[in-house]
Parts: sequence; structure tokens; C-alpha cells
Amino acid sequence: MSITEYNGSALVAMVGKNCFAIASDRRLGVQLQTIATDFQRISKIHDRLFIGLSGLATDSQTLYQRLVFRHKLYQLREERDMKPETFASLVSALLYEKRFGPYFCQPVIAGLSDEDKPFICTMDSIGAKELAKDFVVAGTAGESLYGACEAMFKPDMEPDELFETVSQALLSSVDRDCLSGWGGHVYIVTPTEIKERILKGRMD
Amino acid sequence: MSNSAIDVPSRGGFSFDLCRRNDMLAKKGVNLPSFRKTGTTIVGLIFQDGVILGADTRATEGPIVCDKNCEKIHYMAPNIYCCGAGTAADTEAVTDMVSSQLQLHRYHTGRESRVVTALTLLKKHLFNYQGYVQAALVLGGVDCTGPHLHTIYPHGSTDTLPFATMGSGSLAAMAMFESKYKEGLTKDEGIQLVVDAICSGIFNDLGSGSNVDVCVITKGHKEYLRNHLLPNPRTFVNAKGYSFPKKTEVLLTKITPLRERVEVVEGGDAMEE
Amino acid sequence: MTKQHPAWSPYDNNGGTCVAIAGADYCVTAADTRMSTGYSILSRDYSKIIKLADKCVMASSGFQADVKALQKLLAARHLIYQHQHNKQMSCPAMGQLLSNTLYYKRFFPYYSFNVLGGLDNEGKGCVYTYDAVGSYERVGYSSQGSGSTLIMPFLDNQLKSPSPLLLPAQDAVTPLSEAEAVDLVKTCFASATERDIYTASFFLFPPSLPLCDGIFGDKLEIVVLNKDGIHREYMELRKD
Repeated sequence: MSITEYNGSALVAMVGKNCFAIASDRRLGVQLQTIATDFQRISKIHDRLFIGLSGLATDSQTLYQRLVFRHKLYQLREERDMKPETFASLVSALLYEKRFGPYFCQPVIAGLSDEDKPFICTMDSIGAKELAKDFVVAGTAGESLYGACEAMFKPDMEPDELFETVSQALLSSVDRDCLSGWGGHVYIVTPTEIKERILKGRMD
Repeated sequence: MSNSAIDVPSRGGFSFDLCRRNDMLAKKGVNLPSFRKTGTTIVGLIFQDGVILGADTRATEGPIVCDKNCEKIHYMAPNIYCCGAGTAADTEAVTDMVSSQLQLHRYHTGRESRVVTALTLLKKHLFNYQGYVQAALVLGGVDCTGPHLHTIYPHGSTDTLPFATMGSGSLAAMAMFESKYKEGLTKDEGIQLVVDAICSGIFNDLGSGSNVDVCVITKGHKEYLRNHLLPNPRTFVNAKGYSFPKKTEVLLTKITPLRERVEVVEGGDAMEE
Repeated sequence: MTKQHPAWSPYDNNGGTCVAIAGADYCVTAADTRMSTGYSILSRDYSKIIKLADKCVMASSGFQADVKALQKLLAARHLIYQHQHNKQMSCPAMGQLLSNTLYYKRFFPYYSFNVLGGLDNEGKGCVYTYDAVGSYERVGYSSQGSGSTLIMPFLDNQLKSPSPLLLPAQDAVTPLSEAEAVDLVKTCFASATERDIYTASFFLFPPSLPLCDGIFGDKLEIVVLNKDGIHREYMELRKD
């Protein structure tokens, strides 16, 4: 067993027209045993910036706390929110610092820039940034998600279509992964609002 | 974090806090995750007025392509660029770090950076970490002493060559160089040879793929040709698109409107004294 | 005692992806034509699909030496069957034969991942999917090989077959027309091969690139079986 498969997870972020979606599954397991079915993997950093953390849940939570702390320090010093690009560099730096004893955690970052341009990014557990124009995935269902997103993604989708696409990709992928599932949690962020939806999925 | 009560921003350098825990997990038979590799073809050659660097744009994690269009030619200084192969995080971090050291050095001396300076900084760092920082680099640039091309291996050893290749596609690329390279190539011939070498890696090595990036550095001038060639576009897209037979079922929707952004207009009528 | 090499393995993985979709009166079976080992390409024009009987084809990925041995064995068994019964083996019969053949080598398996596509005795499309040691199931669609994890979720999404536990049992065949099924297969491969290095994806080749023009192969091979017989289709493939 790989340590990233201990808790199981599925994460995906997708870009639409002046909006983005970030979605995760809701299962927290210990190997094949399901512990919780309403687990929050995606967290809000500020109104227009979200981070999802896949991998070992204990590391995800520790890393999340450190990120929030660093973001608050930044807000105090700069009196503004971090730009998504800046935040991605921060996450990358925190992960690379532990190059030889890493957090077992693969983050997905999605945000809107000040000009309402969507930004999505993922990293491996030691902070190698991957910036994509279309979609990024992470977690135990990552391979399935790659296949599903690659087939379903269309450029410049409107928020509603983006929601449907990202939900379909997520649900069909987690159904082929034993370690993630139990519905989905989707955030659609546009310049004017955040739509948070809980999806019904297979309960096995 | 072990010896400080609060987690203040670190002062740089690696942190080995989690090593013991991770070793313990590894001893228990848990596999540690693999890192993202560039699985690369990177090349460089010297032509009549400078240096040309080339790279493919595929990043892999095992058999899966995780980035189809990544950048492997890293900026070091205005007159120096560096191609990276190996673990993606390492090549990125090591080139970023050295490029900022070079910038500071330029502020200090007020002169253009030399390629040997970059070379020494890179090899010092890599030698320090005994090969555990897995970066294989092709460093090229033009400074006051002329064009230079070097390769740097993960353990810190270096080579100075007229043409060089690195990464998993290095043999395929070197085959092109060995058969076609000659001294005093023109710029166009040089670019063509670099493109041929990268393409040879792209098509014959599974770790390399997608597009060709090229960077031409001459005295006082550089040209970064990002996606110089796109030999692998996706072209099959179903014209009708796909509909979803079953719509997703939503259990709960929460809509949070975002606050209107207030535009602060500066200037206007100046305040009277 | 003789000295043994601990790292030596009798197996290799030559990659490749296979897909089969069954319809009401047709069956589409497809595979890429790349054979690779490690980071190198052994062949860009190696067919993974073999016709076993008039109404039965097999697509196999995994270790191609084992696949070849398996194909020869099945062909020989089929020839004996023809001599004894004076007819072609049906697809369901071939499905059972393949399962038995695989299980016969339970403790030194053929390292092959097969899908069997064909038409059953009523002329309906049928797909059988296998593991390496002969566990098999009749399904409406299936995917095997290096890109199967990427393709399967999309097939599920588009073709979601009824649960095999439903009573009365429902047909597992897909509702698509033959042309739609072929297009779906093409999309599957286009997507999977963007991300899987062991599968060569197809694309319309830009004729302006002299370097790539010389490269032959890396195709998608699609075999369609229907009441009119068998016909093969090829798509030019991505070469990186």
C-alpha cells in the first residue's frame, strides 16, 4: 500500500469562462474501511481562492493550518488577500522545504485573479508546480479523473455547464476507485458569487 | 516546528522534521509516493554566434503524463538559461535559487553574470546534497568571455561541451547531434538541429513528448521560442460533443454572493490646504 | 544450489490499451498498435487484435510474447474444434475456452489482459472481459490494458449498463448506433493517449512536418463485427 492511499481522495479543478470549479469526494477512510462520509477536503483561503488537499489526511490538515497561518500573516502585513499565483508559490515553498521528509499531500489550488482570470494549479508532494489551462486532478482517483476530464472538458464553459461537467467527471471517476466516493462537494466560483453544492453519489 | 512554540516563517534551508516519521512508515512497509519527474529530452549546442538550448514539454508521474506543456528551459540570468531534467521540484527549486543568487551578485558587482558563476553555484549545491537533489542540467549562456555550454550531473560533476544532451531521451537526441553537428553552424541550421534532436527524443522516448521549446542566446540578445514546434496536437474531438445521459443529483446548494469590489479613485480634486 | 538472479523476471509489460463495445447487432473492438517496453518503443505497427473465429475477435495487451503463445494455442484449439464439429466456434464458446485456457496456467499465468468481442448465437453483440487468470464476465463494454483506468470512467458515464443483479435480467448491450460507438471509441483513445505514455493516440497528421512524416504506424485499429461480416478501420496515431 502507498501512504497516499491510506485515506483515499479525489480532487479536481476545472477552468470555465471567467470562472472555475473545484470539486472533491466526501469519503474519509482508513484503507478499505470508511470512517466519515462528509469529509471536507476543500477549504476556502479567501473569497476567491480555494485549496483542496489530497493524500494523507493528517498531513493535509497540518499543512492547511500552516497555510492559513501564513496567509493571515500576509494579510496583516500587506492588508490585502494573496493572489492565487503568490499563494501557489507559498504552498510550493512550504512543501519543498520538506523535500527529504515530505508531507504526503498533493494540493490542488484554484482561484480567481483580480482581473477575474481563473487560475488552477496542482503540485506533487514536494511542491513541483503544474499550471494548467484546462483542468488539474489529484488523489487516488487521479488516473480515472484524467481520463474522464480529458474526454469531457470543453474550453470556455459557462458556470452551469462547468458544474455539470465537473460533477459528471468526478462521480464517474470515483465510482471506479475503491478509496474515494460517497458523493461529491463542488464549488463553482464566478466573479459575483460562490456556489457550493453537495452531490449525491453511490454509497459504496 | 519541533523546537519552536509557534511556527514562524522559516529562514530557508531544508526541514527534516518529518524524516523520522516517514522512515518509520517506510520500515512498516508503506510505500512512499513517487515524485513528479520531467522524464525529459533536453539539449544544447554552440553555434557561430552563441548558444541554443532546446527541450520537450512533457512531465510524467510514472506512466501518466501530468503536464503536457511544461517549461523546462529555466531563466538564470538575462544572458544565461538552463534546461532541467530529473525530479521536477528539484530542477525548479535549484534553478530558481541560483538565479536569485545571480541577481543579487549582479546588484553587488554591477556586471553581467558569467556562465561559470552559475555553473559553480549549481554544482556546489548539487555536490553538497550528494546527488539526493535530483537535477540534471544543461546550462548555456553568452557572457563577456564568449558562449559557454555545460552539463551538470545530479552529483555535482560538470562537463564543458560544444553540444550536450540530458534526460531519458538523451541518447536519441545525441544520435542526431553526433551525426549532424559541425562547428560554426548558422543560427537557422543550429535551431533546425536542436529541433531535430528534441523531436528524436519526443518520438522515440516515451518519457518525452508534446512540443519543442527553443532558446537562442547570442551576445547581448536572447530569443525564447516557447512552443517553437507543436508536432503533437490533439485533433480528434467528436464534432457533436457528448451529452450526459443522467444529470447529477444535487443534495444541497449554498450560494454566497461576493461583496461588490469598491473602486477607490485616487486623485480627483486635490485637497485644499 | 545453483545461483539465481533475484531481479530477473520472466515477464515484461508491453503496454497498450484495448476497448470493446457491444451493440444490438454489432460489436466494436479496438486497440492501439504500439508495442513498448520501459521508455522505448519496440514497434509502432503491431496489431493486438486477432480474429479467432468468424464471429469472434480478441484484443490483448500485457506481455506480447505470452499473448502470441495464447493466440497460437487458441487457434490450434479452434482448428481441432472445427475438425470435430465441422463448424466455427461461437463467441460464447470461445469466451469459455479462453477462460479455461487462462486458468489452466493459474500458477504461471499468461501475462495478458484480454477482451473478447463478437456476436452471439442470436446475432447480438457480446463482449467478454478477463483478468490474467481466467476470471471472466459478459458485459456491454470493457477496456483493458495500460489506459483502461482512464477510459473506463468515461465509458461508464456514456454507456452505464444496467446492474447484473437486476431481475429480470436486462440486456447489457449499448443503445448506440454503430457509427456512434466507433466515434466513442475514437474519443476514448484520443483522451487516454493524451495522458498514458504507453498508448499511442491518433490524430490527423500535419503534412507540413517533415520529421514526423517518416514515422509510420502508431495507429488505432478498430475492428467492427456485424451481420455483414468483419471490417477493419485504421486511424493515424500520435507518435510521441
